[in-house]
Amino acid sequence: MDAGLLEQMLLGALLGLSVYLPLRCGQLSLATPGFFAIGGTVAALLSTRVPALAGSGSTYPITSVLLEMALAALLTGVLALGLGRVVLQLRGIYLAIATIALVEILRVVTLNLEFTGGALGIFGIPQPFDSAAGYAAFTLALLALICWLCDRLEKTRPGRAMAAIRDDELAAASQGINTADSKLLAFVLSALVAGITGVVAAHFLNSWNAKLGNFDASITTLAFVVFGGSRTWLGPVFGGLLLTALPELLRPVGDLRLIVFGAVILVGPLFFPQGVITPELFKTLKRIMRRPPTPAAQGERP
Amino acid sequence: MEGLLQLLFNGLSVGAVYALFALGYTLVFSVLGVINFAHGAIFTLGAYFTYLLIGGAVGANGLLAGLQLPFALPFWLALPVAGMAAAAVALVVERIAFSPLRDRGSDPLLALITSLGAGVILVNLIQLLVGAESYSIPVGTLGSLPAALSIAGAKVRTVQVILLAIAGLLLAALSIWIDGSRSGKALQAVSEDPVTAQLLGINSGRMIQIAFGISGFLAGVAGGLVGLSVSIAGPYFGIGYGLKGLGVLVLGGLGSVPGAVLGGLIIGLAEACVPAELSGYKDAVSFGFLFLVLLIRPQGLLGRPQPNKV
Repeated sequence: MDAGLLEQMLLGALLGLSVYLPLRCGQLSLATPGFFAIGGTVAALLSTRVPALAGSGSTYPITSVLLEMALAALLTGVLALGLGRVVLQLRGIYLAIATIALVEILRVVTLNLEFTGGALGIFGIPQPFDSAAGYAAFTLALLALICWLCDRLEKTRPGRAMAAIRDDELAAASQGINTADSKLLAFVLSALVAGITGVVAAHFLNSWNAKLGNFDASITTLAFVVFGGSRTWLGPVFGGLLLTALPELLRPVGDLRLIVFGAVILVGPLFFPQGVITPELFKTLKRIMRRPPTPAAQGERP
Repeated sequence: MEGLLQLLFNGLSVGAVYALFALGYTLVFSVLGVINFAHGAIFTLGAYFTYLLIGGAVGANGLLAGLQLPFALPFWLALPVAGMAAAAVALVVERIAFSPLRDRGSDPLLALITSLGAGVILVNLIQLLVGAESYSIPVGTLGSLPAALSIAGAKVRTVQVILLAIAGLLLAALSIWIDGSRSGKALQAVSEDPVTAQLLGINSGRMIQIAFGISGFLAGVAGGLVGLSVSIAGPYFGIGYGLKGLGVLVLGGLGSVPGAVLGGLIIGLAEACVPAELSGYKDAVSFGFLFLVLLIRPQGLLGRPQPNKV
């Protein structure tokens, strides 16, 4: 497989995880592209305007990328902490619309500010790797780390609290779960993942502009999660990998590819209302693995 | 004084289009509780339909390159026909993206996704068929009407006056229908409580189709009007309006018909007041408003507070 495509798929999986985190407690936030754009802008500005970060070798040092990631995480984290308190008082479609508004305001501001390069954006972002394969390896490691953290989260108290809020917020609150804090935690984690991903994407893409964090991106990333499933971290990863690859793999179909992509989003929820990957799917798979399927075992679940 | 009047006219004519657009969202939202994200694509279609019906030819790109209808309608006839064609598309979208999910009792959130899928398909179909270039509706479309009128000393583009008049007419007709007719009242009943409405003998499936039909008609007409007043800026033309429509919708109150009109006019006027040197930030105005309103009064100016469902 083409390493460039693989890198895009991995970035898609990371963005899917960012949308999944708030959705795990039932909060539909479409703010991911906004935080992604902030991360990308941080990387673009630091790597092109701060000579000290460039090092002396032929490629841009990885330590500088890691430093950018730390700064992007700090910035998006603080921002999400402040905004989250306010925005998360809203629910359902209201929260979705409020986060769309945030992303759009951010886009318009970046488009008009002098130092972010206006409509053209920032060019010539230095490369820490000399091939797409290097990026793919680095992003794969990052994805593995975040997947591991998400897995820990699902199995520990804060993560279980999130799932409880999703199932029934009032019941969760009556069980002593601090719903506001759990939702805020999910929102901040989502912002961190998106911000870090933005840093990697900015280097990989070599240039950065306001278009990269627009409404289309909100929708695409949401589709990753809805298609893959939002009950377990594997869902958004699967959705992100597959749906990012799909338009590229369909390139032979030419102009029809985006139509096919739209059709997938259109019919996916009809056939997989919970997404393709669900915890139930794992249970079924486990049972099949443990013993050979007998007619009785198959009849157990409709 | 003239400057102020001009500003008012600019703001009102833009705001009227936003209102038409947001009304489509509101009608569907009030009966279904979901937002139809394909609405922007239907708006775009309305503009293209109008362009074709008045005798415009498809450009050199796309599968339909060079196509021209064998007849040419006058604008005042082409606009409602285009609106009806857009309504037909909206009904198809309802059939494919909304009704199967409703039949299965799925999470309304999923309808948001499927409607987006429908929107992506429509926008890309347009691009495939007529290409990505922008089209402008020819100057002579309005016949012998002058390009600009002088009202109380202010020069106002005729197109804007027409736009304001048609939008006002449609808004008035709609509110008369909703409050004065049997089917309009049935629509209100369905939006209030679909189950009880069904028990009272109202066919709520039918009311949903009516809501989609009207919503598509309004979007189509709004698209045609904007196409006439500026130009059709390619297949993605409606997406910006779609997002602003969301702002208008929330400002006025989700599901409130007078709210959509009020929201449209407020945002239209607010945008017209943005000074020229800051015009780049104009697109942020509606979202800034939207954001503030959500924080201070989430139900919008004329909406009712959402009950906290247990």
